[in-house]
Amino acid sequence: MMASVSGQSTTRVVMLGLGDELFAVDAAAVREILDPVPVTRVPGARDFAPGVINVRGSVIPLADLRVRFGMTAAAATADTRFLVLEIAMEGDPSPMVAGIVADKVYEVTEIEIPSPDATPRVGMSWPADMVAGIALWKGDFVVVPNFTAILN
Amino acid sequence: MKTILTVDDSPSIRQMVRLVLTQAGFKVEEAGDGSQGLAKARTQAFDLVVTDLNMPVKDGLSLIRELRGLPAYRGVPIIFLTTESDGAIKQQAKAAGATGWMTKPFQKDQLLAIASKFLGA
Amino acid sequence: MHELDPVATFRQEAADLLEELEQTLLDLNANPAARDLIDAAFRAMHTIKGSGAMFGFTDVATFTHDFETAFDLLRKSGAQPSPRLIEVALAGTDHIRALIEDSAGTDPVFGDAILSDLRELLGQAAPDLHDAASATREPVSARPAVRYGLTLRFAPDVTVNGTNPLLLLDELRGLGDCVVEPLLDRLPPLGELDVAECHVGWRVDLTTDKPRSAIEDVFMFVLDDMELDIAEQSDASPLAPNIAPAPARAATPAERADAAEPVVAAVPEVASRADDRGSTVRVQAERLDRLMDRVGELVIAQARLSQLAHNRREPALQAVAEEIERLSAGLRDTAMGLRMMPIGTLFARFRRLVHDLSGELGKPLEFVTSGEETELDKTMIERLADPLVHVIRNAVDHGLETPDVRLAAGKGETGLIRLSARHIGAEVHVSVRDDGRGLDLARIRAKAEEQGLLTPGAPASESELVQLLFAPGFSTAREVSALSGRGVGMDVVKQTIEAMRGHIDVTSAPGQGSTFTMRLPLTLAIIEGLLVRVANGRYVIPLSAVEECIELDRRDDQRSAGRSFLNVRGALVPFLRLREAFGETDAPGEHQKVVVVAAGQSRVGLVVDQILGHHQTVIKSLSRLHADVGAFSGATIMGDGLPALILDVGQLVGGRARPVHGDREAA
Repeated sequence: MMASVSGQSTTRVVMLGLGDELFAVDAAAVREILDPVPVTRVPGARDFAPGVINVRGSVIPLADLRVRFGMTAAAATADTRFLVLEIAMEGDPSPMVAGIVADKVYEVTEIEIPSPDATPRVGMSWPADMVAGIALWKGDFVVVPNFTAILN
Repeated sequence: MKTILTVDDSPSIRQMVRLVLTQAGFKVEEAGDGSQGLAKARTQAFDLVVTDLNMPVKDGLSLIRELRGLPAYRGVPIIFLTTESDGAIKQQAKAAGATGWMTKPFQKDQLLAIASKFLGA
Repeated sequence: MHELDPVATFRQEAADLLEELEQTLLDLNANPAARDLIDAAFRAMHTIKGSGAMFGFTDVATFTHDFETAFDLLRKSGAQPSPRLIEVALAGTDHIRALIEDSAGTDPVFGDAILSDLRELLGQAAPDLHDAASATREPVSARPAVRYGLTLRFAPDVTVNGTNPLLLLDELRGLGDCVVEPLLDRLPPLGELDVAECHVGWRVDLTTDKPRSAIEDVFMFVLDDMELDIAEQSDASPLAPNIAPAPARAATPAERADAAEPVVAAVPEVASRADDRGSTVRVQAERLDRLMDRVGELVIAQARLSQLAHNRREPALQAVAEEIERLSAGLRDTAMGLRMMPIGTLFARFRRLVHDLSGELGKPLEFVTSGEETELDKTMIERLADPLVHVIRNAVDHGLETPDVRLAAGKGETGLIRLSARHIGAEVHVSVRDDGRGLDLARIRAKAEEQGLLTPGAPASESELVQLLFAPGFSTAREVSALSGRGVGMDVVKQTIEAMRGHIDVTSAPGQGSTFTMRLPLTLAIIEGLLVRVANGRYVIPLSAVEECIELDRRDDQRSAGRSFLNVRGALVPFLRLREAFGETDAPGEHQKVVVVAAGQSRVGLVVDQILGHHQTVIKSLSRLHADVGAFSGATIMGDGLPALILDVGQLVGGRARPVHGDREAA
């Protein structure tokens, strides 16, 4: 799903805000963007995937990247959206469909995604495997998450 | 609304019972054999049970016996369907706790008569 | 075909039953001693006869009756069917099929010839169907009203079996003018009175134009257990002395003909149906998935529409909403049905396989199947075929001993292979059981050491040895059977099952046989569920696992603080508070319920806050993200569009998810 790791070409991404951070999600992986729907809690599930939602007749997990990245989860606001993603998983021929919570969705844009090697390791408090790269957008740092690792 | 459970391995008989009794204003639930019937009866209260005798998995006689063993089914009428003309099977079914019987083939009116006999008009 | 036409349903049902009957007869031919096959054949004939008579297929009922009698005779006498009888019965099956498809176009000569063959075989004339059919209806005729004096006394326990004397009195009132007065002379003293017993008798003064038998008919189900005096009265005379009730009147031939009249006339579209039957279209499973998702959306959107229409109170809008509700419910049922098939379609294929294996290997055996009606996703059924062929082949080839070995071991010559399927919670368990020698662990070890799968002399537990059966390249077969065909090994069986997110277990006892059980999740199946509430969450418990629902006694509740057993009518049942299990911290309400569920031999009480009712549950599997949460086997979507989780009863009862109690699971 990370179409470009060469740092040369640009990738179409959906730009979203989580806490104080900006995240760029490959637009090709985004199936749809929804207003928040009621969540059914799954007792015993890990904190970052606390429940499931109904998306057009399918039951899909809802993941909270804020928990995964150690941020505090804020209550939903008028800007809160759910993104439905299709993520290719290792050893599974069909992609996993999962929802993620976004505090705000900004826009769909083209950015240059640097290769993972170019990602500075210093100063990053997040688990390295969850970050596919750090890009720049309008002068801000943008996290390009690695969903295959995040949702595993 | 009075609820009736029909237990029969024959879908056409169940459907007929359902059609006739639903039109008469009853609520009808179906089960395809004695053990399904028992499972339904355990979680839902029925006012009348109409069951076939000859069924796979659990036959009608065992169903009647086990239903009567449940405190909730003391006093609930249980009717069995039979094609047998001999009285022996009726005696067995009565001994198991059946309230009455209906001989197949039966007509719509006979079914309605039985329903009103045990549930009131 | 209209969906709500019982005649159409009967035709389909009869077609299925005839196919099943044919298979059963073929199998009986190979194993005439199999009592359950005789039972199955009898049951199929019995149902064809009974339902046929109900839906106007009188000739089918008449014809089938003699066969039913013949098989009933076998069933009761314990005799075996002769090959000739099976042949005649097969011809009979064909004839019944012809009668159902086109009664008018079927020459009765064929039927008569088959029946006369059958009678010849039985050495007796089979009883006439017309004597079996009985009718109790009275001819309607005007007759003068007669006054009767009735005395009724019921058995004290009359109400236990569901008879309500008051309703019977109401029925009497329906016959004519009626004066009822109670007889209290047999009432026991108040201290001994049991409210459940009926000690009241009644005297009834009834004037009716109906015959005496109509009065007896009112009490027909309790006639043997009660005192009933019916005395005809000349108007002013006192009650006549006791007159014993007359025996139930036999129906006259005229009434019988009336009762046997077709309820619905046969529909003249038989020819086209015969062509349609069996024609299928192959569709990619993925497309069906998408169809299901769309239908799910439609159902949820429709629920919203119905709600809106209800709020607006606009008749025209409501009518449309109701129409859409009906249509979408029909569409949903059809779409769901598309993917589901009874596993019996697969089982039928193995009869031939087992038959051939038995002959080839010189091992007489009985092949018993059960749970054919268990429905499973069609693609899973197809993928199960090869693994099952292998496991069954294995059971016959390696599991069962040769007849001489069996005899020497004190067993019967005939081996038993049992193939069964059933729903256990949200899983389908398909198992193949043989009554052969059981797994030879020493040989497995030797073979594994020879193959380099196990270090010689290395310690290995029984279950570890059993798991070696599934190691790639492992085979204890001393020779390769001609039937092994595609070179499928047990390792491939295991892979195939696991690819469906299933598991395969083996249990074995020396000298008693082995059981291979394939546990398969239902990716898309419909089950009956019991919907319960725990705190704010709704959960579905598969109804097939539910034994009973009881109140959580407050004393039990408090007393159980230190332990986790509940007294259910003298039996100790361990219980699990779902609130605690699900990490709900707020205090429970007053009236908690216990849903007693069972899996295999174990029972567990699940404490819930409320029982909400039944729910037709379409099972959706949980994603990999929640695969580690053991308590749930899947989810479903409720009418309001919210997902609800389905409890995995097997996990909860077996304690695989959490240590509920110390029940040990077979390896």
